[in-house]
Amino acid sequence: MESTSLAEQERILASDWGGGKSPFGTSWSKFMMWIFIISDALTFAGFLIAYGFMRKIAPAWPNQMHDVFSPLLITFMTFVLISSSAVMAMAVSAARAHDPKAAVKYIAATIFGGAIFLGCQVFEWYHFISEGATLTKNPWGVPQFSAAFFVITGFHGFHVFSGLTILAIVALRATFGKYSADSVENAGLYWHFVDVVWVFVFAFFYLM
Amino acid sequence: MTTHEHAHPTGYRQYFTTWLWLLGMTLLALAIGYIEGIPGTIKTLLLVGVTLAKIFLIGSIFMHLKSERVNLIMLTFSPLVLAIILFTFTSGETRNNDSTHQVENISPKCKDAQRTCRSVEVKAEGHSEEHK
Repeated sequence: MESTSLAEQERILASDWGGGKSPFGTSWSKFMMWIFIISDALTFAGFLIAYGFMRKIAPAWPNQMHDVFSPLLITFMTFVLISSSAVMAMAVSAARAHDPKAAVKYIAATIFGGAIFLGCQVFEWYHFISEGATLTKNPWGVPQFSAAFFVITGFHGFHVFSGLTILAIVALRATFGKYSADSVENAGLYWHFVDVVWVFVFAFFYLM
Repeated sequence: MTTHEHAHPTGYRQYFTTWLWLLGMTLLALAIGYIEGIPGTIKTLLLVGVTLAKIFLIGSIFMHLKSERVNLIMLTFSPLVLAIILFTFTSGETRNNDSTHQVENISPKCKDAQRTCRSVEVKAEGHSEEHK
């Protein structure tokens, strides 16, 4: 009787319901980063859908790509962010291969790319504001246009800034020997998410 | 080896190839957005297609989702599903535009930005005052 009971217990413990198994197969910190990314993606989805809604009900809308923004600058910004994302992926691979020196080197390159992106965004904002655009009015006569621009690109820019801060902390910790491949991977996931959001902003805000 | 210590087989070469694809698709999206004369619906569909292809590449290669469990991969689709639901509900509202919020559409593209669009704004302000 007792042996049957033990076998039954072992069968239950070996099953997925026996505990000790992660249904998502990730570390706790990585899973939490994914949950954060998913919730943040919903925020940006809300922004972009609200933008689409405003644009559709507005009586007029400026031809953004031809009359307002510089396609060259926006494409350059996209190029920089995609490149920094690729370099960040290399940093994660280096971290997983237990090569902190290479990881720090790639993270530094990622930070450099992110800083260039932020610089371009400051330049774009400066020009937009110089032309008389504010949150509530702009020379194109469609208040929702500048409001959407400031909120969407501002929120994304803040994410880039946060990403740069996180990457700098991870790189500094690695330099001082407090190295963790998981922290590099989590920071990398956040940075790629920033890239993903920009891909949507590039297509739906600037190009459409 | 714990459950979360995945070996990421993605090599630098694959990252480089992905980067090239992403750049190519960015230029394609730019061309779609910049060329005038493409009907609005086709332009939107093309841009959505290119964007989703880019997201797929970034997610699977850079974020290593291709080596994650199906449970986690499915979880990442949840914002997309919820966004489609939100879009579907809000786009229904735009089809039945309330005329009280409408003003004369003088220049949809606002080519002469300084003049025509300002006149739209003035009309809009005047219109809203009438309803006060």
